[in-house]
Amino acid sequence: MTIMMPASDQEVLARREAIVAALRAIVPGEGVIDSPAEMLPYESDALMAYRQPPMVVVLPDTTEQVSKVLKYCFDEGIKVVPRGSGTSLSGGALPLADGVLLGLGKFKRIREIDFDNRAVVVEPGVTNLAISQAVAHRGFYYAPDPSSQIACSIGGNVAENSGGVHCLKYGMTTNNVLGCEIVLISGEVIRIGGKSPETDGYDLMGIITGSEGLLGVVTEVTVRILQKPETARALMVGFAQVEAAGQCVADIIGAGIIPGGMEMMDKPAIHAAEAFVHAGYPLDVEALLIIELDGPGVEVDELIKRVEAIALRCGSTICQISKSEQERNLFWAGRKAAFPAVGRISPDYLCMDGTIPRGALPRALARIRDLSEKYGLGVANVFHAGDGNLHPLILYDANKPGEMDKAEAFGADILRCCVEFGGVLTGEHGVGVEKRDLMPDMFSEIDLNQQQRLKCAFDAQGLLNPGKVFPTLHRCAELGRVHVHGGRLAFPDIPRF
Amino acid sequence: MDTLKVRDAADVEQVVRAAIASEQALEIIGHGSKRQVGQPMATNALLDLSALNAVTSYEPNELIITVQAGAPMADVLSLIDSRNQQFAFEPVNTAALLGTPDIGTIGGMIGAGLAGPRRIKAGGVRDHLLGAHAVSGFGDSFKAGGKVVKNVTGYDLCKLLTGSWGTLAVMTEVTLKVMPRPESECTLLLRGLDDLAANRAMTAALGSPFDVSGAAHVPNPALCASADGLASLESPQQTVTLLRLEGFAASVAHRAAALGQALAPFGTADVVDDAASAAVWASIRDVKPFAANGALGARPVWRIVCPPASGGALGQQLSRETGGEVIYDWGGGLIWAALPPQPDARATLVRQRVDAAGGHATLLRAPEDVRRNVDVFHPQQAGLAALGERVRLSFDPKHILNRGRIRRVAST
Repeated sequence: MTIMMPASDQEVLARREAIVAALRAIVPGEGVIDSPAEMLPYESDALMAYRQPPMVVVLPDTTEQVSKVLKYCFDEGIKVVPRGSGTSLSGGALPLADGVLLGLGKFKRIREIDFDNRAVVVEPGVTNLAISQAVAHRGFYYAPDPSSQIACSIGGNVAENSGGVHCLKYGMTTNNVLGCEIVLISGEVIRIGGKSPETDGYDLMGIITGSEGLLGVVTEVTVRILQKPETARALMVGFAQVEAAGQCVADIIGAGIIPGGMEMMDKPAIHAAEAFVHAGYPLDVEALLIIELDGPGVEVDELIKRVEAIALRCGSTICQISKSEQERNLFWAGRKAAFPAVGRISPDYLCMDGTIPRGALPRALARIRDLSEKYGLGVANVFHAGDGNLHPLILYDANKPGEMDKAEAFGADILRCCVEFGGVLTGEHGVGVEKRDLMPDMFSEIDLNQQQRLKCAFDAQGLLNPGKVFPTLHRCAELGRVHVHGGRLAFPDIPRF
Repeated sequence: MDTLKVRDAADVEQVVRAAIASEQALEIIGHGSKRQVGQPMATNALLDLSALNAVTSYEPNELIITVQAGAPMADVLSLIDSRNQQFAFEPVNTAALLGTPDIGTIGGMIGAGLAGPRRIKAGGVRDHLLGAHAVSGFGDSFKAGGKVVKNVTGYDLCKLLTGSWGTLAVMTEVTLKVMPRPESECTLLLRGLDDLAANRAMTAALGSPFDVSGAAHVPNPALCASADGLASLESPQQTVTLLRLEGFAASVAHRAAALGQALAPFGTADVVDDAASAAVWASIRDVKPFAANGALGARPVWRIVCPPASGGALGQQLSRETGGEVIYDWGGGLIWAALPPQPDARATLVRQRVDAAGGHATLLRAPEDVRRNVDVFHPQQAGLAALGERVRLSFDPKHILNRGRIRRVAST
């Protein structure tokens, strides 16, 4: 592990037995796990390069228990790391040696389906896909579709503001949640929003979404559901140059078309995916686009024609249109299996997640190629092309000494390049521990201080998920100090009227 | 009162720092088009952003525009319109409702966070603000968000700035998402439905796969006659229920036919095409029937947001109990209510009924003496209110910015 986590509090560790007993009094039975063997599954999330067994695991199943656990930890000064299904790709649920790991896996109930208000009220442990399945019989679905949707929980989606292939058209988690119940570290239970289209007061739902478990523990979520589009068809388009593919993406958007999904893969990714799932991808192209159009049949047919014309104009060497649902799924199969496919050609890989302005794509890919040479590590690129979200997969072998460090340095350089080109460090995976130390590349100290002040409004002791998102934690008292410059309301240089 | 016309972010920092030093509160204005909204403020000087009016960059292919906060909304709207793009959230033009000569600035548009009919499909202002530079009540210029549509790096401070009525920070530059303007639109028009039936029709339409981008109901035909756009619907003695479809021409035609069929139990729908349809929705968006210079201009106006399917019952009850007029948007999720003038604008009654429906109500228009004595923004549960106040303090601990605008406080 190359990242420093906050130093363990020896005083807390010395009290471990008493802490476990106190937690057992709140969550009876098997809800408290303290044996090393049983805690093993919790020692990392999907960013498996980082591992740390927690001090103790607690699995409450009511809001009241969550509230009591948090209040106890608050009173006793014990750190807490919340966890959903553990599918975070940025180490958001990485435990702390002196911390309680608070798992929400038992919150599995769908509390209410309200078709008239197009809202579903769920507990945080419900999986993303389960929501869509629960409303499918009436033609509805929940739009955000992270690739881990079979496993990832809606609570985790809220924490990470998860995206997915279709967020270009339908938005990320933040655009699809209406309200929540959240327990603060003090144990206080707060309700925000509900089935109304908008919350009142400050948009706290907007700030909690994507807060990576640093502000509170969500115990209920109200999500917005949509009617499924009547139909969907996909095009598979190949190009001899990445630049042409990038131009094609820009021209589609420029023509006023927002596809349901628009994905790009580069040559190494195409080859890995094709070898794995045999989707029929062309192997002689440098870039492949999968473009999905959804809506009424008449609309999709029309847009397919327009997109095909744009692709030809941009010099596509192959352009296939799905003629059946089976064929559409086949086009997607390769893209959806890209990560495991790359896993087959390399002992290990690191999945990066930066966003760049769409127009910077050719430059970014050229830079990644240069870096690949510099570090002597292979890279395969998959890309949510429509919204500029890049997922370079860095290939390495953790068994070779120093190679993981090299892969991480390569990844950090890619993210710095995203910022340099006008983009951001993370498009959908979150900062977590993985990108924590890169935050100063994107934000100044003043920017980060303002974010931390907001953290102080929720958790002044810094007990919730410390060591994530912020490279350095300042004391709230210090951050709250207002520096007084000068003495009077005199603005010598500013025009007055 | 001093008006301080700032030229750049550094000026804003200087003004806020001086205000901190002298413990003077500042009122933040662009064009002043929404100054009458909120509690009357306890401020000592005006911080005028109207000179920060430049378009920093507009990149149609990236679907983003970056402008200074004082940029006139009218100019920015016409600029993006020239490239067939729009703000998908359909910003409300409050000029007619509030009786101001000007529609205001982009900063005001974000600070107020008022989205129009398309909010049900495309989201609100909050969903389209990608990044901002702003000066906090600490006197520091900070950056929030970024300039790309997909970004989860750090806390999403842009969400907080939207709809904060200038009480957290002074925005100096913002980046907004723009979207292609639909190629065509049409409106299905149902006549003669009462509030409850109209609510059911809108619920059915919004629960259909036909991608409805506007669902409104005007329960009093007299309200249509007085408002341009709606006046052309010629519906004597009949209520009108409006359902908008937008997109590629062939798709709109197909969906109009299919939606008309699905709504057959509610009557036969007329179809209003392109320009007339656009005029209808501009009128709904801007609440023209309640225009300040119209017959109801002297009435206080409430903006009520509630679960959409309960809107019909709530609006009907309020109008029956107060003798007021209502207009429904967002499929029932937004109710504009113009109530006969009373010293408290019927706040107690409105809040009771709205609370029972699980919604919230803002007194968007009322004379200053009424706003002085009534909570303009919906009172919140104690825990939520306290959390909101801690959030506010984390941006502006000395209460320098728009002091007292969102909550009644003792003046200093």
